[in-house]
Amino acid sequence: MYNNLYIYLFIGLFLLCCGILGLLYRRTLIGMLISMELIMNGAGLNFVAFNRFTSPDNAYGMSFTLFIMGIAAAEAAIALGIIILIFKKFRHIDGQELKEMKD
Amino acid sequence: MMNFAESIFVLVIFVTMIGALVTVLSGSIIYAMIGLVATMFGIAGLYVYLNAPFLGMMQILIYVGAISILIAFAIMLTGPHYKRPKEWTTTVKFAAALVVSLFSFAILFKVIMHAPWMNTKAKAFTVSTEAIGRALFDKLMLPFELISLLIVVSIVGAIMLALFSRGEK
Repeated sequence: MYNNLYIYLFIGLFLLCCGILGLLYRRTLIGMLISMELIMNGAGLNFVAFNRFTSPDNAYGMSFTLFIMGIAAAEAAIALGIIILIFKKFRHIDGQELKEMKD
Repeated sequence: MMNFAESIFVLVIFVTMIGALVTVLSGSIIYAMIGLVATMFGIAGLYVYLNAPFLGMMQILIYVGAISILIAFAIMLTGPHYKRPKEWTTTVKFAAALVVSLFSFAILFKVIMHAPWMNTKAKAFTVSTEAIGRALFDKLMLPFELISLLIVVSIVGAIMLALFSRGEK
């Protein structure tokens, strides 16, 4: 049962769709960031599953999952710093109310 | 009848999916963070089932250990919970987001089912942690160095953000 590519692909797809849903309807910026993490994890799971099932004699997929983890850590650090700055300046983190840089 | 490994596998899948649903659908952002932690543990278990225990350990270290704590600190630093906006928006917006999500799910489902994947019933996976290290420092040298450059830039950027925020007060 766990030796089947499709199960892992469907879990990755499920994570992607949950992430899209959260990214579209969450109001706070932190909620959007958490949904981004879900999407990146789905991508990493797909990389490892393809590495395991379609080319089992090298390690490139797993290496790229490690790269994805590094990028996610850097992104989370920068994004949370920006979110805290926004909160200090505007006293809220509502994504719809941030209009100052729009116009 | 399922054997022991398969029942643990089903449990791991349930933890992942329910964690993802809690992450997306919960009304409070702190519950969403706890759902994210559950999802990360589930994905670490899936990595173990994919014969990549090193990646499972890295997943727990980086996501559960670092990013979730970072998010928890950001949640605590951005005001008390009664001043935060409610996560539930209008039903129209939720319905539109649900439509987009289900539409992408349907398209990618069709792609997954109809694409001709090569040997999906693979033989035993022979890649060890040593092979990951060799791949990182042999063929993937340039991406590895670029990732380290990216992390240095993000560290400097976070420090600069913190300094500016203190200077403005």
